[in-house]
Amino acid sequence: MTLGQTDQRCPHNYQVSCGNCRLNSICLPIALETVEIEQLDDIIQRGKPLRKGEHIFRENEVFGSVYAVRSGSLKAYRITGDGKEQVTGFYFPGEILGMDGIGRNRHASSAKALETAAICEIPFERLGDLSTAIPTLQRHFFQLMSQEIAYDQELITLLSKNSAEERIAALLVSLSARFSLRKLSPTHFRLPMSRTDIGNYLGLTVETVSRVFSRFQKTGLLSVDNKELAILDPERLRTTAGIRVTTESR
Amino acid sequence: MSTTTAIQATSHWDTHLLKKYDMPGPRYTSYPTANVFDKNFDAGDYRALAAKTHANISPLSLYVHIPFCENICYYCACNKVVTRKRHLVRPFLDHLEQELELRGALHKKRRVTQLHFGGGTPTYLDPAELTELMHHIGTHFNLDNTEAREFSIEIDPRTISKSTVALLKGLNFNRISIGIQDFDPLVQRAVNRLQSYEMVKGLTHAIRRHNYRSLSFDLIYGLPMQSVASYADTMDKVIELQPDRIACYNYAHLPERFSSQRAIDRLQLPNGGEKLAMFQYIGERLLAAGYDYIGMDHFVRPDDELAIARKDGRLQRNFQGYSTCLAPDLIGLGPSAISQFNGSYSQNHKDLETYYQALDENDLPIANGCTMSQEDHLRRKVIMNLACQLRVDIPAIEQEFGIVFTSHFKKSLINLEPLSEDGLVIVGPDEILVTQAGRMLIRNICMAFDAHLTEQSQQRFSRTI
Repeated sequence: MTLGQTDQRCPHNYQVSCGNCRLNSICLPIALETVEIEQLDDIIQRGKPLRKGEHIFRENEVFGSVYAVRSGSLKAYRITGDGKEQVTGFYFPGEILGMDGIGRNRHASSAKALETAAICEIPFERLGDLSTAIPTLQRHFFQLMSQEIAYDQELITLLSKNSAEERIAALLVSLSARFSLRKLSPTHFRLPMSRTDIGNYLGLTVETVSRVFSRFQKTGLLSVDNKELAILDPERLRTTAGIRVTTESR
Repeated sequence: MSTTTAIQATSHWDTHLLKKYDMPGPRYTSYPTANVFDKNFDAGDYRALAAKTHANISPLSLYVHIPFCENICYYCACNKVVTRKRHLVRPFLDHLEQELELRGALHKKRRVTQLHFGGGTPTYLDPAELTELMHHIGTHFNLDNTEAREFSIEIDPRTISKSTVALLKGLNFNRISIGIQDFDPLVQRAVNRLQSYEMVKGLTHAIRRHNYRSLSFDLIYGLPMQSVASYADTMDKVIELQPDRIACYNYAHLPERFSSQRAIDRLQLPNGGEKLAMFQYIGERLLAAGYDYIGMDHFVRPDDELAIARKDGRLQRNFQGYSTCLAPDLIGLGPSAISQFNGSYSQNHKDLETYYQALDENDLPIANGCTMSQEDHLRRKVIMNLACQLRVDIPAIEQEFGIVFTSHFKKSLINLEPLSEDGLVIVGPDEILVTQAGRMLIRNICMAFDAHLTEQSQQRFSRTI
């Protein structure tokens, strides 16, 4: 089968190239010229899709690549001192994982598929070489990295200072913005992660998560049907998240 | 504490004494001072000294100079490039990375416990550029990751968003200093630096939310339109925002050296007496609000590392002002940055073009410097003891350097006589003590021991009051 005959729209198709990937406007190739996209494409390795529960990398493994999500979703987590899992992030198509390994040359977290997921592996050293030749690529990469770092810090602050309502509202606002960036509905989406993962990520018990979801439903902020979620009042959700404090920009 | 008396004591001064000590003089962030550095000191000298320091395991301090500013502040005497041409950042970062690579190869094994980004305006760099720069520093130097590290950055409230505050925390900075200068809009307009109190308050709030270990404010007195009365409101606001450290600098009006200062109307400047009154007022307000006076221009909260270091005799003075003795050697990167290590000082080329040119030839961009003589070491010790400990232990100095203090420093002690008569300093057989009143004129006292100071060179410095 030649490339021309494959269904290039299929999100799990691991032969899709950067040039025809529908995510190239939010992933690494953003702002690259066609020739440059081809150069980037040459270094990217695409394997078979991950099944639910499979890992891309594990904490403390030697860092060699960063990974772009092409379809599905993943969670990153660390094992705490007392052996418990601590969820550190959720990743969606077009987002890059593994950048926390750059500093110490070892992965600082593990990454596990929440559902069937297709991944593009980008060997970091080759990306570095390519960045020297394509400054816009380097710039975009550091931009993604800075967003990730700022987002992490905002999360840490959110967890240390804010109420359960504020934390859950902030997560939903963030998910909504990320889906919207992918031209998906910002108000109607499916939560790929469990209530347990949400609670773990936000430092809340699963009971509190369920209670807050019920309260949000009762006050007309959301409607929730198991994993299907509809944001009914986006403005009030943003206010509840105290978004002006955490993500205001110039 | 005693400083109240120091500051009150000076209020009884007559104008005659005031005029007597208001003269140009160095701030003694180094000794010898930068104006006597030698053009013959070059990259070869630096490499040779670095090769000889490999056995030194004490940690390093790094200073990174980012020269760009979006706007010109008329009072500024720093080395800077005022521009809105953002594309100038790319060649700058590329050359800075090359300098990091060259210096990193020379100093790599040593841990970096102190890091400071100064300028210009470090936050002229956008989030991606700041991330890239930290990535390069981490690649070429061994950055400390413990709580004890002191990584600080100067921020301009006008060029920073709250998410940048989050980013800087994530890049491992744990100290922020904000250039406040004065909250009075009239003064701000006269110096071309408009930044509202609300802007600074919001930023302060964000910095506290992200758990930075220390927040420092820079203030300037002696600016146009300022008076004690006008500064009262600024002090109310400063004290309300509770910074951990406050540096209040004396504005030095040297329009013949710094062209932007020509935009400042000389007639709007407070005179020496008014400036002293302002410094007294600032000191009184800060002491009443519970701050400790560290010396020269620095006030800190009593639980701050600097206050503790001063009590323990671990305070040092370098190009970043006062600091703890965590890392005695300082490597400066970027245009005009000064390095200090292994008995040497060296300064990078000031203008970007020459700085780039040296690096393009794969050479360290060093413009000048000096290798300290034994005499320089001795005098630096005395001057830094005065500035940091307010006391010179004469027998200890005699023992360390094998000299007889009274005969070696005969000329200095004569220089000191009028200051002693005016009660600024007490010269005893075993020690020299800076009095309460002398603390505010510490620069004048240090000048007595400066062997490089000539009347001609002295004219280049800012006035001491």
